[in-house]
Amino acid sequence: MSGTAVRQAPQQKSRSSAPWLIAPGVLWMLVFLVTPILLIVYVSFWTQTTFKIEPTLTLQSWQAFFGSDTYLNSLWTTVRIWLIVLASTFIIGYPTALFVGLFVKNKTLSTVLLVICVIPFWTSFLIRVLAWRPMLGKEGAINILLQKFGIISQPIEALLFTELSVIIGMTQIYVVFMVGPIAFMLGRIDPNIIEAARDLGAGFGRIFWKIIFPLSLPGVVVGAIFVSVMVLGEFATAAALSGRKVNLLGNIIVTQVGSLKWALASVVGVILTIVMGLVIAGFLRIVDLKREL
Amino acid sequence: MESRVLKPVLAVYTLLFILFLYAPFFVLAILSFQSGPEGGPQFPIIEWSTYWYRHIFGMVPPSRVAPLPLGEALFRSLTLAFMTMVTSTVLGVMSAQAFRRKFKGSGLAFYLIVLGMMVPGVLTGLGVSLLANNILGIERHWWSTGFVTHVVYTFPFAFLVMLAILNRFDASVEEASWSLGVSPARTFRKVTFPLIFPGVLSAMLFAFTLSYDEFSRTLFASGRDQTLPLAIYGTFSVEIHPNVFAFGVLTTVFSFALLSVYAILMTLSVRRAKKVAMQEDIA
Repeated sequence: MSGTAVRQAPQQKSRSSAPWLIAPGVLWMLVFLVTPILLIVYVSFWTQTTFKIEPTLTLQSWQAFFGSDTYLNSLWTTVRIWLIVLASTFIIGYPTALFVGLFVKNKTLSTVLLVICVIPFWTSFLIRVLAWRPMLGKEGAINILLQKFGIISQPIEALLFTELSVIIGMTQIYVVFMVGPIAFMLGRIDPNIIEAARDLGAGFGRIFWKIIFPLSLPGVVVGAIFVSVMVLGEFATAAALSGRKVNLLGNIIVTQVGSLKWALASVVGVILTIVMGLVIAGFLRIVDLKREL
Repeated sequence: MESRVLKPVLAVYTLLFILFLYAPFFVLAILSFQSGPEGGPQFPIIEWSTYWYRHIFGMVPPSRVAPLPLGEALFRSLTLAFMTMVTSTVLGVMSAQAFRRKFKGSGLAFYLIVLGMMVPGVLTGLGVSLLANNILGIERHWWSTGFVTHVVYTFPFAFLVMLAILNRFDASVEEASWSLGVSPARTFRKVTFPLIFPGVLSAMLFAFTLSYDEFSRTLFASGRDQTLPLAIYGTFSVEIHPNVFAFGVLTTVFSFALLSVYAILMTLSVRRAKKVAMQEDIA
């Protein structure tokens, strides 16, 4: 009797202390994350003049965005680059995930392989972007190698400061976020299922499309959400590798804030948020993550 | 399965994949040993030298290549990373501790915290800048607005690490301590904290490195004085020289030094835990 009483007392104590433990964190996020984002929506309707901004509500900045080819183009560029990078991270990442998650039976080896993939993240993001410049340039490593092996006679100039260089750079930086979740899901597949399918005479292609791929789909969706959120919010890779030729929505925000056009920057911010929300909602419709994970 | 064919093919593919991840950095590292000051950021290497490393530390006579503005930026980045690390680890431990019991609105609180790592830096940075600039009318600094955006970003990581640790935590040792009449605060210090220490260390590592490398939030929210990533970004727009490459190698070495310190501390704490366990077995 007394034993249970003693045991219950501290439990009640920690239950009543839960609000105090969670309050600072929640408050921090409400003040410095939720409020600022709501503020972006609010400020996007403010009146912007050349030198200052006033809290008089207007649609002026929204009209400016949808009335300008430059801004609309950056929206399409963002969507296009997002789709291409999403596809390339999936296509390049999936075979690696297949090897690490399914074919490597040794748990230590597969962990080592994943760690090798993650190690580059311990170097600075900007340095990783910058590292593509000496690779892709006219006198860069790739052109020199291709010329040495006689594959090309003239250096390919389209490699650097084009949309292609931005796509290559982003693919390398974000592909690991695709590999990780897929490898994780593949690692959880019960080998007996594959064994059973094989005993029943299914070839690898059939096993892959009927069993392996559907079971890895939640991983693909999680990876796709990671990659999408990061690519849509990008601007540094585009700035560093396209020579300012590729302007994503993020780049527009940076330039507008730089010239103190807060209202227009906010409009772009709202549009970016909406695009991201639609993308995430779309992915979550494909797979019910709560059930699958 | 055709794994006799498929497995080696995939193995070779994975090797190529790893090469794809690492190649740019190796090229960058090789080019950082370009001769200076006339050698450019491309092949061929005119002559191997450590000129650009000495250039970073101001150990070469002035040339047409301006030195990178690193000194104060490094100090700011380290201070900011340290502040961020302490704050987000404390917040992370507290919040994860709260999540050990179901409470009203726990699902909402979870999503609210995790949102911090999902929202892109452009949006957090822009939002906090609007808050400071247009609502509060205060100036932006790396140690004020920059700092809060960093914590918004790193706190979720610390929180998730601690949540994972506390999920596997055996609460009966705490109950034993309570039933012996030890106060909850002292129990946390003497029993809970030593047990979750490896998790705290990981949370600290995450928070420190993420903040040290953080760029997009800082760009908006940190005002005039540059942190290290901002100083590097400033060199992007103008012509680049191999000194940026040399700096990239140095900052990578620094990150790995940090990782090694973490690994050593981790091994020590695991070894100590084992020792204690063995002593208990003997007793």
